[in-house]
Amino acid sequence: MSELLHFSEHRLQEAALGFMGLVYIIRIFWLLSFKAGRERQAPTGLPGTTPSRGIFYSWAAIATPWEMESLRTKFLLYLQFVIFHVGVAVAITLSFIIPYGPGLLENGSVVLVTQVVTGAACAVGVLRFIRRVSNPYMRAISSPDDYFSLVLLTVWLFSATLAAPNSIEQGEWHLLTYFIMTAFFLVYVPFSKISHYLYYPFTRYYFGKTMGYRGIYPIRRVKRV
Amino acid sequence: MRWKRRKRSHKAEKVLERLDEKLNRQMVGSLLACVHCGMCTDACHYVLANPGDTTYAPAYKADRIRRLFKRHKDWTGRIFPWWVKAGSVFTDEDLEELRDIIFGKCTNCRRCSLNCPMGVDYATFNRMARGLLVSVGIMPEGVAVVSKDQWEIGNQMGVLKEDYLETLEWMAEELQAELEDPTVAIPIDKMDCDVVYSINPREVKYDPRTIADAAKIFHIAGENWTMPSEGWDMTNFGLFSGDDELGGAVARRLYEKVIELRGKKLVISECGHGYRSTRCEAPNWGKFDVPFEMESSVITMLRYIKEGRIKVDKTRNTRPVTFHDSCNNARSCGLFEEPRELLNIVCTDVREMYPNRAENYCCTGGGGAMSMSEYTPLRLKSAKIKADQLKDTGAEIVVTSCHNCVDGLTDLIRHYKLGMEVTQLVNLVANALVIEKAGVAAEQEDEVEVKGGEG
Repeated sequence: MSELLHFSEHRLQEAALGFMGLVYIIRIFWLLSFKAGRERQAPTGLPGTTPSRGIFYSWAAIATPWEMESLRTKFLLYLQFVIFHVGVAVAITLSFIIPYGPGLLENGSVVLVTQVVTGAACAVGVLRFIRRVSNPYMRAISSPDDYFSLVLLTVWLFSATLAAPNSIEQGEWHLLTYFIMTAFFLVYVPFSKISHYLYYPFTRYYFGKTMGYRGIYPIRRVKRV
Repeated sequence: MRWKRRKRSHKAEKVLERLDEKLNRQMVGSLLACVHCGMCTDACHYVLANPGDTTYAPAYKADRIRRLFKRHKDWTGRIFPWWVKAGSVFTDEDLEELRDIIFGKCTNCRRCSLNCPMGVDYATFNRMARGLLVSVGIMPEGVAVVSKDQWEIGNQMGVLKEDYLETLEWMAEELQAELEDPTVAIPIDKMDCDVVYSINPREVKYDPRTIADAAKIFHIAGENWTMPSEGWDMTNFGLFSGDDELGGAVARRLYEKVIELRGKKLVISECGHGYRSTRCEAPNWGKFDVPFEMESSVITMLRYIKEGRIKVDKTRNTRPVTFHDSCNNARSCGLFEEPRELLNIVCTDVREMYPNRAENYCCTGGGGAMSMSEYTPLRLKSAKIKADQLKDTGAEIVVTSCHNCVDGLTDLIRHYKLGMEVTQLVNLVANALVIEKAGVAAEQEDEVEVKGGEG
């Protein structure tokens, strides 16, 4: 292993991770510096609808597509969301496995699963990019950051697919690409839309709390017979 | 070349200054969290009725407000505004353009909020943006007029006290004639009542029958009730204009009147935005801890039936009916099962509307849209979605627990020639009431006693 690759796998990642953590901590303090709105009125809605139930229901939205009309009626998009995000999670995990637990990748099945998942996520990234470019509504709401973040992640997922075997027999370029991209990704994330996962627990917590307190969550509906 | 700062109009300066005061944690979360996934697009009736026009997409409209936040508060937007489409307002024309989006292209129905996977509550910060513009006098003409009436006269339709009292007197007389009982009254400012009843000024001006129907129900139920002579308007234009000062002041008048009368419970007549404002939002706007109970008249009527205080005969309402959920009731106050339960008790043929409850579509008259005549053509075009929904039910009558929806629905039914009627639960309950005349009941009791004696 070259010094450059060793540096990329360790020092560079650690520095990037430390930077991201620091920026996130500042971000969370900044968010918490805004006063939370308070509900003074008595709760509304049917008995059994409570703020805590609303919060859990709200957090679970990510895994309960049937509960939200927009996800229910666009199930393929939801499926893409799942594949893409699972792929990202696996690619992130890979960036820890290669430097700290490379033994795991000696198992061919683990490598294959990692490659299938990140490869599928990469393909979804391409589909998402096509949707963002071709759908006029998506184009209208997209910013350069939206395009860049999506391209960045898609290419990064591709590099993760190549890096998964953790082999340097054919050279180091694929591993270098993956780790340098990971470091860039970690530094860029707090300033981009990709940091949405940091906000998800906040926004859904407060929205769920309000909706639970007011008896709207969990959603009740009567389906067409 | 020296970099020159672009000059801002006084109003634009003020809007940006006040943005700070309006932000809270929930709102900041919503302003930060949008990932532009586009899942909210089809949730909006404006989008569905105007296919291809991307400017109606909730995320697009939200971004018109979000860009200010990003440019002035968020770090990436402050340094690289073009990268995240951050921007600012400089001229009064910029503010007017924003007005047409936040007032004219959104009814604050909250349907997109419920459909956002990230939990972005667009309706809440759209209202915040309305408040910012209103604070510098930029708003649709109708919003200005109605707000002024509510500040100055104390109700949103400028109903004078003498007209209000006269209408109550007139309704009481009608009721006396109908029930053939000269003792029936609509009590005004009676102290220590169990129920203080508040109404929408629309009832006084255009639909006094609803007051008489409510009075009839209270009378038959034997309720110890009253109506206030002042501070009786439970509607609140602060909800629509985003003006928390107005919202708090209007509600405070009503709350203080109930306290003055030592009322035990405030019953709010069927009005979506009135119920939401008075019951749910105004204590927050006015920072007022309300010391008495508040209830929608829908729940009151249902309670009377369940407690056996009134009896109803559903065969008096046999025409097919459907129920339209008001956005404010269903998506902001969780009031959607009780009206259905009541409707099923007083009508024989109830047909569900799809989607329903919190997923229902707006009547398109919400968010104060009925008072903004400049946007009427836009509103009626977007009402196509609601019109199709209504038509699908096959019902002859649309029932709703909201005066605003009554007007919005009536307008779209006329526009799309649906030939349906719009009514409220209070009218149906009053029509189904079984009234036992005192004399007849006494005779019947005597009869039973006599028969019993014979046996």
